[in-house]
Amino acid sequence: MSRPGFVLEVDERTPPLLVHAGESFHLEQFPLGTRVVYPPDSLPGIRDVDAAIAEALLNPLGSKPLPELLHAGMKLTIAFDDLSIPLPPMRAPDIRGRIIEAVLELAAAKGVDDVELIAANALHRRMTPAEIKHIVGDRVFASFFPEHLRNHDAEDRANLAHLGKTRHDEDVEINRRAAESDLIVYVNVNLAAMSGGSKSVAVGLASYKSLRHHHNVHTLRHSRSFNDPPNSAMHHSYDRMRAVLDEHVKVFTVETTLNNDTFPNQLGFLNKREWEWSLKDQAAYVAAKRANDLAPAKVRRKIWHNTRAPYGITGVNAGDPGLVHEKTLANIHRQQLTEVNGQSDIAVLGIPYICPYNVNSIMNPILVMCFGLGYLFNMYRNKPIVREGGALIMYHPMPQEFHPVHHPSYIDFFDEVLSETTDPATIEAKYEKQFAEDEWYRHLYRNSYAYHGVHPFYMWYWGAHALEHLGDIICVGADRKTATRLGFRTASSLADALEMASDTVGRSPSLTYLHTPPMRLADVR
Amino acid sequence: MSLIREIKLVSRRRDWRGRSRTPRSAEQWAPVREPREFPTAWARTKPARVVREGVQRGVLRPLVWTQTSPQVYGSDRLDGVHGPVIVIANHASHLDAPLILNALPARLSRRTAVGAAADYFFDARWRASLTALVFNAFPIERSGSRRMKMIAPKLIEDGWSILLFPEGTRSQDGWMRSFRRGAAQLACQHDIPVIPVAIRGAYGAMPRGRNWPRPGRPRIAVHIGRPLAPAPDEPVPAFNARLNAAVTQLWAEEDMGWWGAMRASEQKELPDTTGPKAASWRRIWETTRPLPDKNAKNPVWRR
Amino acid sequence: MITVIEYRRSPTRFLAARGASARTTGKLGDAVAGSLAPLRLINRPDPRRPGKEWGRVRPMLSGICGSDLALLTGRSSPYLSPVVSMPFVPGHEVVGELLDDVGDLRAGQRVVMDPVLSCATRDVDQCPHCAAGHESRCDHVTGGTVAAGLQTGFCSDTGGGWGGMLVAHASQLYAVPDDVPNERAVLVEPLSCAVHTVRRAAVPDGASVVIVGAGTVGLLTLLALREFANPGPVYVIAKHGHQRERAKALGATDVLEPKRAARVLRRATGGSLQTPERGAEYLLGGVDVAIECTGGGGLDSALRLVRAGGTVVLSGMPSAVDLTPLWYRELTLIGAYASEHAGSHDSGDFADALSLAAHAPLDGYVDATYPLSGWREAIGHALAAGRLGSVKVAFDPTRD
Repeated sequence: MSRPGFVLEVDERTPPLLVHAGESFHLEQFPLGTRVVYPPDSLPGIRDVDAAIAEALLNPLGSKPLPELLHAGMKLTIAFDDLSIPLPPMRAPDIRGRIIEAVLELAAAKGVDDVELIAANALHRRMTPAEIKHIVGDRVFASFFPEHLRNHDAEDRANLAHLGKTRHDEDVEINRRAAESDLIVYVNVNLAAMSGGSKSVAVGLASYKSLRHHHNVHTLRHSRSFNDPPNSAMHHSYDRMRAVLDEHVKVFTVETTLNNDTFPNQLGFLNKREWEWSLKDQAAYVAAKRANDLAPAKVRRKIWHNTRAPYGITGVNAGDPGLVHEKTLANIHRQQLTEVNGQSDIAVLGIPYICPYNVNSIMNPILVMCFGLGYLFNMYRNKPIVREGGALIMYHPMPQEFHPVHHPSYIDFFDEVLSETTDPATIEAKYEKQFAEDEWYRHLYRNSYAYHGVHPFYMWYWGAHALEHLGDIICVGADRKTATRLGFRTASSLADALEMASDTVGRSPSLTYLHTPPMRLADVR
Repeated sequence: MSLIREIKLVSRRRDWRGRSRTPRSAEQWAPVREPREFPTAWARTKPARVVREGVQRGVLRPLVWTQTSPQVYGSDRLDGVHGPVIVIANHASHLDAPLILNALPARLSRRTAVGAAADYFFDARWRASLTALVFNAFPIERSGSRRMKMIAPKLIEDGWSILLFPEGTRSQDGWMRSFRRGAAQLACQHDIPVIPVAIRGAYGAMPRGRNWPRPGRPRIAVHIGRPLAPAPDEPVPAFNARLNAAVTQLWAEEDMGWWGAMRASEQKELPDTTGPKAASWRRIWETTRPLPDKNAKNPVWRR
Repeated sequence: MITVIEYRRSPTRFLAARGASARTTGKLGDAVAGSLAPLRLINRPDPRRPGKEWGRVRPMLSGICGSDLALLTGRSSPYLSPVVSMPFVPGHEVVGELLDDVGDLRAGQRVVMDPVLSCATRDVDQCPHCAAGHESRCDHVTGGTVAAGLQTGFCSDTGGGWGGMLVAHASQLYAVPDDVPNERAVLVEPLSCAVHTVRRAAVPDGASVVIVGAGTVGLLTLLALREFANPGPVYVIAKHGHQRERAKALGATDVLEPKRAARVLRRATGGSLQTPERGAEYLLGGVDVAIECTGGGGLDSALRLVRAGGTVVLSGMPSAVDLTPLWYRELTLIGAYASEHAGSHDSGDFADALSLAAHAPLDGYVDATYPLSGWREAIGHALAAGRLGSVKVAFDPTRD
């Protein structure tokens, strides 16, 4: 029986606690009384994953068994989540590959010839062949790549289909092949409560024209939080779009959930609670920290990004997207939900080396903002972990470093847009269109491995709710110039940060530290 | 320098073994520590046996035999006895185990494992390792639900003899207590003989609370008895009573001699080994009375 | 007798200064290069007046120009060696007091000097260029009444600004209005070059322009561009913070850091950014006109930032550069040297520069003046001007 998540209160016995800060980590002695939110211990994974997959496909929720949906001569499209989930990437074999194999096994038995596999990467960068291969597995890759196993292209006008508008006048436009299929099987990995469900097809296979209806400042400011679908304006929009989609195309979705085994054995201490560290864990910590600090930056990055998580699968559910997603959310809550009593004046976050948009890449300052103020801040139900007007303290070195191939528009966004304003609404009104329609970005998105020109805007919007909610944002150990550009302040230590925050929250603020990774969702009462 | 800082930080609020106390608010979530069986198999490997042989014969024996003057009686009764057997003895001192191991013929002692209290000897890692190495000790749970989950049966199956102190603990005052049934049960289950041993004077030489024998080379007598085998279908309590009686008789041999003790045994007139019902000082007074040196008139062959 | 700073032929000094400036950077490099320059401070007889049309001028301020520095640090091209005569007193950005009555000017008049020693000053028949009004292209810079020298400040007979006295031909001299302080007047010569550059570039209305470099030349070119042309957006690539401010004040659309320039210009002008295996990024797309104002590596940037068929204008002395973009992108490369006036003192680059200098926001451009005896510090300061927050460093030969 794994232990549930809980809130630690730092007392005289509490040893220094682990904090992630980019491609590094360190121990921080938090002030007495600091609340620390720990996620539940990792749940045991399913022993026989293949059997669970077969069971899910043959006895789906709210749908006929998959074999009965397949017939010779049909058009079958299998769409799957791209490399933005899970984080870090999963140790091979990836669960998506195993499911796709099972689906193809059934399709082959039924004599289905016309099968296309599409990575649902929306406006994310295309995946390299190696990255696709890691997700779908060697066998699928060898059989389908490159003609029938492709990245979705949200700028390929000829291959997009406009399916209509929702009652809120939102365009629904997705990949033409998917839209014209007799069946879409969507294979998903659900790491956070925001993904999956209606989002899968409506976002993953959509175009900019369609995405802009929910990826905007207004929607994100009214998604509280976007990890709590019933209270997320964003998810309401997804649901409306799914209703339109349902009129045109049948979707059979397969969703999976993972446990919290985020780091491999040699970094096992990262998965453990600090006061339970053995001598061995401590030695591993010192050795790993030392090696990490001494390693040249390039080597360090390579090692971090080559980390593969030994995730266990906590659930495989298939069938009708709505019903499946309910089960998925329950599984996620089982693994991530931690009850927290009341808000605090200050939230403390350690921003790790990876976020959904820099797998095998560089976590640039905009992604740091997005992960801290977007993702981690929004990992709540009911109320944010920090009170309105409170302060947020983030740990990240924030070097002014961008991946020139993956994030070209980010560089210009940082230099040109953020130097003018950091207000999401102003940015949206003044610059979004220019970037979204920039031919070069479009070209790089379609032909190179670049995120779409508009993507940095979405990153900034993710943080819109937090920017509105927070009174002060202080980055510990961050590059001063970068942080200033983002509109944040910098401190060299936690003590300094608290000192600075005292202007906003007074001399004896309440502190909550969110101990991540692994992921957790705070249920703030 | 930064390495030192790092180590200081990681060891902050931890004890010297690197253990941290569970924070108060985390106590309800503290994992139930499954008491782990301290692994002792390594202590029965060839290299460990060689080391042990050296320590026992080269360090322990000279130490015990120079600081005290042990006299072993009845070794002849073990001629032709081969393991596995169970050796039992009364227990009053930390000297008991080295005395018995050195009193037994090498062919037996080399293949003898000693049952030691898990809560005391196997509590700290260093002590557990040392005990396991020097005495070939294995942990015995003295209480709790896991009491019977011992590795003793497995050792016997592997051909190891076992030294047990059926009283379960060292005596408070040098007198004996009644035997627990574990040893008898083990013998009955595996149908192997039990060698009873009585030790006199060890309490006087090094009682509880001392960690070095009293000065003056006090005499200690080790009386080894004839092996007893459980009769077919003999109930465990009955066999246990026989064992208790055998040790009592050996105890009496010291005072009455072999013949006297045997006679007294026949007539049920053996002295009470549990001592007089008197004030504790008087009980201790008796057990710490130096044993008279009666080597010359000892009726049992000594070698 | 006058005190002058003399430039002489000294191969060892030349190589030493060149080596120092090439190998060391930062404060030390500048100091060392300044000290090693083949200069010396000596006393010389007053310069002889080569003719009646020549008058003596006592310099009051004399700027240190980028081309002077290139010469002192051994980075100037040997191409120019036939058109200078050694030893000479450098200094061609001069404001001074006229000591003789020449032409329309009276002794005591404050004057600035167009340094070009064209046919008119040498008392020779006019070359075709001077006849056509392009004095800066004069073919006769090696002949006539004075020794070879493309300008005052490179000629052994005329003296130069970095000394107590020089001689100048009446056609070179312009009266400075009384309300124009010396600190502005000394900028007239570089400003006239900027005006000339802008006219040479013939920037079409609305064309996008990037000025590479924001030193004296870059800033003054920006000023001239806003004054004498009607460009669209003008971007300035500036290394240092104070240059940003000044460029903004002179009307730059945006001021770019060198590293970021390519990306920002791509955003501004469309097209795409390319990263070659070696060398800097370049644009397919880009600005219409690039003006090189660094007198160094800026030409490479200019070639990479301009659009196909665009124009690159060379305003400083060039350095060796990969000309592939010139060929591949079919660029037009335009040189712009000194200034021209077609024989007139009322119009032309120099006269326009003089009237512009009178009212342009140029306060604070000359913020460091040194006596001749402080030449080592002066040269060191000038080499590091951008970093030290200065635009123009000048000698004040009247000080001790």
